[in-house]
Amino acid sequence: MANPMRSAVITLYKNLLHLGRDYPKGRDYFRNRLKAAFMKNKDVTDPEKIRELIARGEFVIKELEALYYLRKYRAMKKRYYESK
Amino acid sequence: MPGLLAGSPQVMAARVLARCIGPLGRRSAVWCCPSSGSLRVVAALVPAARRPFGVLFGEQHKRRSEATRVPRSSAVLQWRRFGDLPPLTLESIAERVMYVLKLYDKINPEKLQSTSHFMKDLGLDSLDQVEIIMAMEDEFGFEIPDAEAEKLMTPEEIVQYIANKKDVYE
Repeated sequence: MANPMRSAVITLYKNLLHLGRDYPKGRDYFRNRLKAAFMKNKDVTDPEKIRELIARGEFVIKELEALYYLRKYRAMKKRYYESK
Repeated sequence: MPGLLAGSPQVMAARVLARCIGPLGRRSAVWCCPSSGSLRVVAALVPAARRPFGVLFGEQHKRRSEATRVPRSSAVLQWRRFGDLPPLTLESIAERVMYVLKLYDKINPEKLQSTSHFMKDLGLDSLDQVEIIMAMEDEFGFEIPDAEAEKLMTPEEIVQYIANKKDVYE
């Protein structure tokens, strides 16, 4: 329980959960998928492997951010240019 | 008051003027009939402004307090509360905590007690507990650090923690 990686994993989970609020398919969909993804690796104990998985989580965070930026950009573009 | 909102510059100017002079002529000016334009409003202001000051001050005070409390017209209703919330008490915190927990889909509301342990009694895992803490952060509007969030395992502990953070005592 007193694993030093534990807090990193929990922080990652929290950040992902925060980002998932605006997910296009809905918050609950994202939450269930996220939970499943975390539970799939719950028995991993190797620190190297955990670090790798956390890095993957960070990558997902980046992807989500990119997704939101793109969505915002599309909405803006639609509002300003497609009315012609 | 449709006249006030009609937006003609004259009416707006009259409105600004009425604001500046304040409660002295407010009733006579703005509440009279603003739709007829600024000339009439100004005309209505003048006699009000000529009243003796002693009377004015007494009345002014009375009117201002009246003006803040009594909703007289939907257009000029100004009842400011500056985002003020009712003060937290231990009961209200407990009520809100239990409310949030009941809404959480993985908790069976019938099994929920204020002393039940999230993992042992309610069968949740540590990720669910993280979600609960996040829901509490949303509900009470402040962040709970991870180190302390880990220790909050029963509704009672959450209530106690929030009460400590918000300086709520019996």
